[in-house]
Amino acid sequence: MIDPLPQTTVDAVVQALLRVLPPDEVLTSKTDRMNRARVPAPFPVHRWGERVPDLVVLPRSSAGVAHAVKVANDFKIPIVPRDGGTGLTDGAMPERRGIVLDLKRLNEIHEIDLENRTATVGVGINMLKLNEVLSPYGLIYPDDPASYPCSLIGGRIGTSGWSLIGSRYGHSRDLVLSFEMVTPTGEIIFIGDGGGQKVSKSSSGFQLKHLFMGHQGTLGIATRATLKLHPKPEAEFSAFWAFSDFDTAYKTVGALARAGIATFGGAVLFDEWKVEYLRRDDEAYIPQPSSVRALVCAAAYGNEDETRAGGKRMMGIVHRLGGRYLGDEISQGDWAARHDRYATPLHGRTLNGQAALMGWHCEDAAINYTNLPAVRIAWHEIIERLRRKHDLFDDWGMFSYTSGNTGVDYLTEIDVGIWEQHLKEESWLAFVDAKREIAAVALAHGGSISACHGSCREGEVDLVPQELGGGYDVMLAIKKVMDPNNIMNPGKYGLDRAYA
Amino acid sequence: MTLDANGNGSGESAPLDASPPTPTDEFVGQWRDAAYNCFSSGHKFCREVCPVTQVTRNDTWTPTAFHANVVAMDKGELDIADIAEDYVNCTQCGACELRCPNTLFTGDFYRFRTRTVDLVKSVRTLAVDSGIHQPKWQRWNELTDQRTHEPVLGDQPVGQDKVRDWADGLGIPIGGDDILFVDCEAAFYRTSVSRAVAQLLQMAGHEFGLMEEQWCCGGPAAEMGYRDQAMRFARHNLDNWKASGAKRILVLDPHDYITFTEDYPRYFGAEFDLEVVLVIELFAQYIREGKLTPHVPIERTITYHDPCRLNKRKGVWKEPREILRSIPGLVFNDVDRVTQWAYCSGGGGGLPIEKPELTRLISASRLEKAKEQAVDTLVSACPWSERPLAEAGTAHGIDVVDLHELLAESLGIIVGGQRGAQ
Repeated sequence: MIDPLPQTTVDAVVQALLRVLPPDEVLTSKTDRMNRARVPAPFPVHRWGERVPDLVVLPRSSAGVAHAVKVANDFKIPIVPRDGGTGLTDGAMPERRGIVLDLKRLNEIHEIDLENRTATVGVGINMLKLNEVLSPYGLIYPDDPASYPCSLIGGRIGTSGWSLIGSRYGHSRDLVLSFEMVTPTGEIIFIGDGGGQKVSKSSSGFQLKHLFMGHQGTLGIATRATLKLHPKPEAEFSAFWAFSDFDTAYKTVGALARAGIATFGGAVLFDEWKVEYLRRDDEAYIPQPSSVRALVCAAAYGNEDETRAGGKRMMGIVHRLGGRYLGDEISQGDWAARHDRYATPLHGRTLNGQAALMGWHCEDAAINYTNLPAVRIAWHEIIERLRRKHDLFDDWGMFSYTSGNTGVDYLTEIDVGIWEQHLKEESWLAFVDAKREIAAVALAHGGSISACHGSCREGEVDLVPQELGGGYDVMLAIKKVMDPNNIMNPGKYGLDRAYA
Repeated sequence: MTLDANGNGSGESAPLDASPPTPTDEFVGQWRDAAYNCFSSGHKFCREVCPVTQVTRNDTWTPTAFHANVVAMDKGELDIADIAEDYVNCTQCGACELRCPNTLFTGDFYRFRTRTVDLVKSVRTLAVDSGIHQPKWQRWNELTDQRTHEPVLGDQPVGQDKVRDWADGLGIPIGGDDILFVDCEAAFYRTSVSRAVAQLLQMAGHEFGLMEEQWCCGGPAAEMGYRDQAMRFARHNLDNWKASGAKRILVLDPHDYITFTEDYPRYFGAEFDLEVVLVIELFAQYIREGKLTPHVPIERTITYHDPCRLNKRKGVWKEPREILRSIPGLVFNDVDRVTQWAYCSGGGGGLPIEKPELTRLISASRLEKAKEQAVDTLVSACPWSERPLAEAGTAHGIDVVDLHELLAESLGIIVGGQRGAQ
């Protein structure tokens, strides 16, 4: 456990910050700090107090961000960027205390370029709010995570986010053209292609954009981004189909993803555990007969004629494979509710079937199509063993989402209910062990520990060097060059090893 | 573990020692499960619809933080003194409750919904009961207690001798089956609203009277945490209604509507057996029945501001639009009620008293939205919203009028009264 900074140091840091920042951008109250120490479930609430930052900066400009980073460097204290705080891998959690730099006030729309189809925004803006502004222009920024109504552009950059409709429009790394970034030593630099910040492909120099996306705030702080805009789709096709067995549903999702349909937005496979969980405890689920054992849904976006044709082709594929269409109400309603439903359960079941107030956690991986069935079995076994050790957990089933438009790999997740009020150190550590096992299964099947969240949380983080091979040593070298004092979100991804 | 109807369980984390529970223990016990329901999921879908968050971008003042603080209190990390001031930053508009996936998708199982407004009121009450006061709220409630009405005119006196001045010349009797309750803002500040409502009722042939001795409804005191004072005021009003044989209370102010339909039944249970009628619903009905037929064209281009306590907290959004669409001459550029979950005037929950600077930012933001509709007039139906909105409207050249005023004008009524302090 890291002790809080001495009050004299905090006072000195505050004074240094206030030399440039106005008083309402430097926050020190207990609630200001406590509420920037937590991230979504499962948060080890019994350790909340160990991760409270010493102070918070809530700047309004890139210059303010740069000043705060320079102060952190001067004092050699940690500084942790935080955008929406909705990530699932602790990126925005100040593991070593210090300063939390909250970027929500950088939410301006600086420019909408209707001819080149770009928007330049502060990273504190939310995608839904941005799309409200873009809508009258017939444009959309189609980065669509489950947290679409609340996550922010900066977090999408920091985690290199994954989008539910990424098979159609790409994911955050494809949609962010460039960004301004404050380095760990406080310089403001530009990351991306082309001097004008609006080029989507160049062959000039190192391709730094990917390096500075997905580092979970360990290599810098994005402050302003230029985004690629698409025409707002004229039409949306969404369909849910029921299957009497997992294997047929699995074949179907693969066939949809491989069909080469240009408007294909994505497909999702619900396994037997997921369907059983929905049937058992999700009040929003419209009950299906017990013969339904697996589900597939798919969506398409684009011009009306293209979307209609793509939808028709998908319906034909599924019909031939034996799927049963669940009707327009479920298909349109459930897809429309895809964001709200991602973390809705308030309860799960103990082993004897008793209802218990549980929070939701989702463990993800990137898995190739051919390995999905085996990973599924192994993951459910891990959670079953965990449940038998600590009756605070519940298996809420698995989803597999297409990541791209060829069906090569899938964001695969297992949802775990956690009775958080009763979580103690022993059960938390058991959960961490289970997370590590889940990551190990993903690697054993040639996958990645995470397609979506990142992999710097307790448990899975131990296996990152194994996944990256020699690339991990490159990460360590880059970290040390970029952040000589190890102030930028220290402790994440095991990057402390660079300074040993 | 067993779950009660509110989704509360008999969790092991309840205090086990034998000492009597403190008010803080009781508070945490009441809110623990609801707080974990929010905390454990960490959705934060409420954030972008929260009017305070929109203008401050400060996570400390979000509905999520308001719930998380309870978990921190449960863990001994925070106490009421640490959190009280933060809970000023809420207009009690209810947007967060509607936008919460826990309300939207899991309610049926537990009969549960997220109740941030009640949580905020509970924290404020615990603060006041613990001797922790916000200075302007304390002063406001002291003056209200002295004058039996809120000091809505600042240093200008308000009180029993003036509470019916707005009705001068209208010949309204005292007492009767139906009592028109006029909130403090409409009785003393924007008297044009109360005059419009009274004359509309008269035109429709609806018999009604005024209270013999009307006090403030007590709702604002309850919103600011002064629950004992709120209950005293409520007791006075209920006794007065009972003594005069009233059967129905006609309400023009959405805040009063909340107080009479939610707070009073909580205070008095079955003793509160009066019908509460929102006049906006009554007028829509009278228009449908042909008792009122707007006929004087009003040449304005308008949009409608859904008052939070009607739209978000009571689901009343249809009737105001029905009335506006019945008025000839209006060009009505409507914005749907769900989009308006994210809109607010900033005038509720005591925010304008303690933090007027935030109210100004919120109302300015609302006027920006109105401006996008290319209107000359923003119509509201809540006197408490109209003061900050009108102040913000001046900057945009947008007039802010009350729906009742507009309806009366379209019926040829010379409304009279004031649209603000003299």
